[in-house]
Amino acid sequence: MNDLIIRNITQRKFRTGLTVFGIALGIFAVMVMGGMSEYFNRHSENTLNLVDKIQVVPETGYLGGSIDESTVRKVNRVPGVSDAYGLLWMPYDVEGIGLIGDYVVGIPIDKQETTLKDTKLKSGRLLLPSDTYRAVLGSNVEREFKIKVGDELTIKSKRFRGTSSITHERNFTVVGILEYTSSDYDNVIAIPLETAQKFYELENTVSYIWVVPEPSADGEDLAKRIELSVEKITALSPQKLREQVEKTLVIINLITLSSAILAAIIGGLSVMNTMLMSVSERTKDFGLMKAMGAEIWDILYLTMGESALMGVLGGIFGIIGGGIFIYYMNEYLSSMGMVLFAITPRLIIISLLFATLLGTLSGSIPAYRAMKMNPMEAMKYG
Amino acid sequence: MDEPILSVRNLSKTYMQGKIPVHALSDVSFDVQKGEFLSIIGPSGSGKSTFLSMIGLLDRPTKGSVFIDGVEVTKATDSEAPKIRREKIGFVFQHFNLIPTLSAFENVDIAMRFARVPKSKRKERAAELLTRMGLRDRMNHKPSELSGGEQQRVAIARAMANNPAIILADEPTGEVDTKTRDMIVELLRGLSEKGQTILIVTHDTSVSARTRRIIKMLDGKIESDTINAVGEIKTA
Repeated sequence: MNDLIIRNITQRKFRTGLTVFGIALGIFAVMVMGGMSEYFNRHSENTLNLVDKIQVVPETGYLGGSIDESTVRKVNRVPGVSDAYGLLWMPYDVEGIGLIGDYVVGIPIDKQETTLKDTKLKSGRLLLPSDTYRAVLGSNVEREFKIKVGDELTIKSKRFRGTSSITHERNFTVVGILEYTSSDYDNVIAIPLETAQKFYELENTVSYIWVVPEPSADGEDLAKRIELSVEKITALSPQKLREQVEKTLVIINLITLSSAILAAIIGGLSVMNTMLMSVSERTKDFGLMKAMGAEIWDILYLTMGESALMGVLGGIFGIIGGGIFIYYMNEYLSSMGMVLFAITPRLIIISLLFATLLGTLSGSIPAYRAMKMNPMEAMKYG
Repeated sequence: MDEPILSVRNLSKTYMQGKIPVHALSDVSFDVQKGEFLSIIGPSGSGKSTFLSMIGLLDRPTKGSVFIDGVEVTKATDSEAPKIRREKIGFVFQHFNLIPTLSAFENVDIAMRFARVPKSKRKERAAELLTRMGLRDRMNHKPSELSGGEQQRVAIARAMANNPAIILADEPTGEVDTKTRDMIVELLRGLSEKGQTILIVTHDTSVSARTRRIIKMLDGKIESDTINAVGEIKTA
């Protein structure tokens, strides 16, 4: 029977081509939107895995202000805290608000390994205590500026003088480049904390504090304890942070996936339309097959097999098309310092299953029609 | 006398045309022996085609029974009907009704596919039947590349593919010229001589004149059932 299905599909090349193209477009959308969703999921997951410490931020929020360095000492004194250190965070693009793109982090030299956790160096070295205007870069920064160890990167800072501001810039020598992590770390420009404070004229100030709890301490309890012990700060445990990120992800996923599914359903309707046309064209053939003793399952297999095959073909083309688009889009975006899509085995499997299911389901109504056909009535069509 | 291969008992079919009942068949009964070459004639609307579709399980009677090879096929459920159609009945239609996208060979082959005949046997049988029909060189041609006579011969080969108990032919010569008509009738008669039961529904008296038995229908009833002497002589 499979050869009959293939023959029927190949004999109506133009129509099959259009239908497969319709499905492929839908699956292309699933791949691209799903790829975006997968990227956000993976990126957030990787970032959360790396940022496994309690975050102490100004009570006004992440972007809302700064913390005096004396607060770091106060946090360090809270029972259950093994270590606490401040980091100074600044967007690389001084004109932007820093929600996306590269960012500069002033980091205490002796806390680099704790902060980077498992992230390895692709080339060069980490910052040394003697380093001042030196930087370690994330891999997206490297790709964006096509920079290597030994090259110089210009960093700007905006300094306010009364009501006006002047932009100051300074070259930093790249001493190390981090491997790709698919996390926020890919966009980091790490410089020594002291240098950062001087460069941005924010002496004795940090943006937030990272807290390493003692092994026996419960993150949630410790975060609460820090909030009670230290004023004007908010402490977020890794669990709390994860919850907040996941809430945001659900919304992103809903938006991306629902638009992708909508596109795919439109593709499915094109299969249904084609199959309805194909079945009504072959009304007489199906009637004849029934007169020859075809079981209803034979008819169902022939019709649904045909639509399922179109679904699979559309799925394969959609996945290939989506894959190529994502590859080039990521290449292009990475030259601007960001990546937006991720292709995962899960995404490919889901896309293919979805395409097959879509094809099969879209073929079910036409198949039901063919199956229910009265052979006598069907043959009168001729 | 042997048990009849086809036995029709009190077969009736009433259609509703709006609110008016139309009696297409009324209380029809007769027997057909194995190897008989029989024609059913009558004017349009006499019930011949309705009768044929009842025997072929393409339609359900309002009343009465049809037995093929001792099996009461009118009792068959929807799920049993395909098996009976495959094993007991072969159809030949006026419009040939070949699947246009398949070759002559594949049109014969497909009938055996539904009967789950293994591929090698199907190939052998389809080639053998088409050769018997004189279509050995036309096997790979599509219906559109075959003449009316050739198409009808493919349809006969297809009807015979699963060795059915009866071949039901509905106006098999309705769409062909007189020369082809004669050839088709001769072919069917030849098959009946080899033991194949053949039942033809026809308008054409020159076709029925060459069958051994003629059932004449009028207004859904059998008007006459006669042994055709000419048919006898010709056959002899």
